[in-house]
Amino acid sequence: MNNFSIFLGKSISYISKHLNLGHGSTWPGHIALKLNSDFITDLFKNSQTKIIFITGTNGKTTTAKMLETILKIAGKKVFSNISGANLLNGIASSLITNCSISGEINADFAIFEVDENTLPLITKNIKPDFIIALNLFRDQLDRYGELDSIAKKWQITYKDLNHTTFILNADDPKIAYLGNGNKNAYYFGLSDKTLETKEKQHASDSMFCPRCGENLYFDYFYFSHLGKWSCQNCNLTRPKLDLDSFSFYPISGTYSKYDTLAAALTAKKLGIPNAIIINALKKFKPAFGRQEKLVVKDKKIQLFLSKNPASFNESLKTINEEKPKNLLIALNDRIPDGTDVSWIWDIDFENFISTDTKLFLSGDRVYDLALRIKYAGISREKYKTFENLEDAIHAGIEATNKMNTFYILPTYSAMLETRKILTGKKIL
Amino acid sequence: MNISSNKTLNIGWLYPQLMNIYGDRGNIITLQKRCEWRGIKAKVLRLDVGFSTKDLEKCDLLIMGGAQDKQQEKVAEDLFKKRNVLKKIIEKGIPGLYICGAYQFLGNYYKEANGHVIEGLEIFNIHTENPGENKKRLIGNISLESSTISYRLLGFENHGGRTYLGNGIKPFGKVLKGFGNNGEDETEGAIYKNSFGTYLHGPILPKNPKLADYLIEKALEIKYKKKITLEILDYSLEEKARMAIAKRLQVTI
Repeated sequence: MNNFSIFLGKSISYISKHLNLGHGSTWPGHIALKLNSDFITDLFKNSQTKIIFITGTNGKTTTAKMLETILKIAGKKVFSNISGANLLNGIASSLITNCSISGEINADFAIFEVDENTLPLITKNIKPDFIIALNLFRDQLDRYGELDSIAKKWQITYKDLNHTTFILNADDPKIAYLGNGNKNAYYFGLSDKTLETKEKQHASDSMFCPRCGENLYFDYFYFSHLGKWSCQNCNLTRPKLDLDSFSFYPISGTYSKYDTLAAALTAKKLGIPNAIIINALKKFKPAFGRQEKLVVKDKKIQLFLSKNPASFNESLKTINEEKPKNLLIALNDRIPDGTDVSWIWDIDFENFISTDTKLFLSGDRVYDLALRIKYAGISREKYKTFENLEDAIHAGIEATNKMNTFYILPTYSAMLETRKILTGKKIL
Repeated sequence: MNISSNKTLNIGWLYPQLMNIYGDRGNIITLQKRCEWRGIKAKVLRLDVGFSTKDLEKCDLLIMGGAQDKQQEKVAEDLFKKRNVLKKIIEKGIPGLYICGAYQFLGNYYKEANGHVIEGLEIFNIHTENPGENKKRLIGNISLESSTISYRLLGFENHGGRTYLGNGIKPFGKVLKGFGNNGEDETEGAIYKNSFGTYLHGPILPKNPKLADYLIEKALEIKYKKKITLEILDYSLEEKARMAIAKRLQVTI
């Protein structure tokens, strides 16, 4: 049965790729699992491949790609699931693509981005060697509702994983607590004085002690609710950091530092020498949409995928530091973006848009976005709405001269559309 | 006609730190700006856990949002202690907007799926029941005919609880598209005196500016004891946003 699924799956992938329909990424896996719900477990049963899961609200794709780059430069054979295809069917599909026709997996490492809500279900099928947990932010409200229930489900999951090494973000209280009492847990976090802030960003979650529920005390914040935290009630504190800085960060922004540290700490635990890690990060090319740079008609463009208030704030902050002349924001509300756009009111537009920036607004919910911008106090002549995303992109490119960069800040499906418009190819 | 400048408005934001996961601060921003644009001085009083009832009594308009369960427990504990003051304020006719969790909490009780009953503040004659994980949550864009103003309201609902209205309490609106209180009786939300309970996120006020202005006017009228007419602001962007959703829901607005 599995051989049939593999054959069928590989055929579907091949056809989709060659007809430029995108990789058809989740169909093969979907079918395989329907035919045999133990498909994934079966395939890993006899393999020596080390399995690494990366989960969290923001940064999975970037961290996965950094780690993959490091391992490949170190001479290892690695495969991963396609970004965005991070549910069970996406993982199964990546297995089909990367195994032989008889179902053998010949890789040293398999890196899987795992959607934070699916993690408990997936660990029933596979016991990974490593789990990297980056953060928990409010994401698509209509899909998952509550952070507390996700964190609770993770806690139960983690107790069953005795042979897994955990690489955890110490600066995020809920994440750090997952390693509590576990000798196989290692922590990354920041300790850069220049990044410390006493101000809490509005869209902050997780301000309560994961153990006793009381208000947490923060010496300072680095980003959203991440920082140096402690509980004055039960004395739970941020764990000691196993890695708090790295000599080279390939992408700008506070947020990306965490991704780099996560990848570097994992690589170190896998025995990869520092020099190789640095060398690999210098060669690192961002994943599509994640601070990805493109050149179209001689004009420089940079994409900052943003899916929730925390990542949006970070993108706006990072872009604003470059003194942008033209910025396109595209808000869609399809399934991958979240169908409820209330979250845009938790973004701190008031703080991060300068009067020198011209805004191009687009996406399915362009007028809701424009309303938010209006209420952020931005004057009417500074923003223009476009119902058609392609028109918005062309207008922005036209308006940008060769010395400057045109920044595009899209939600997920708008990012895919944007890339298709800019490069002429579908990717997912 | 009374001009609205030289007036002040004290907006009480109940539990901003705990009950704010859903973009509901957009309601506060909307009220603040719509006052500012008319020269009305709006002051927002953040009433977090442990606030003094003296501050609550200073407010001309109250706003409260929803939260995750753990946070709602903390709020419940705190607000129960102040229940009588809040009830007096609501009975007096001070306007307020209570969204989702806040709306449920103003009711008589909330019955969980396992039968456990959580006491409410018993200010609104309503109760809520959660049928449990096996029944679908009520999620999606929603449109209603307002019971108070001649206006169609647009928003987004996302709730597991099904609310039922008791005697003496009017619905906030009649459902045109969407689920509303319970997906059965075509009612959405509830109105008691000048307090409005609703499940509408969006947040509700930015895309329903007439409701925002109604709340401001009502609050000012009660405060200054005379009819206030607010200067009309440009609605064109709001109308475009409303039309886009109305088209999707296939309702006219």
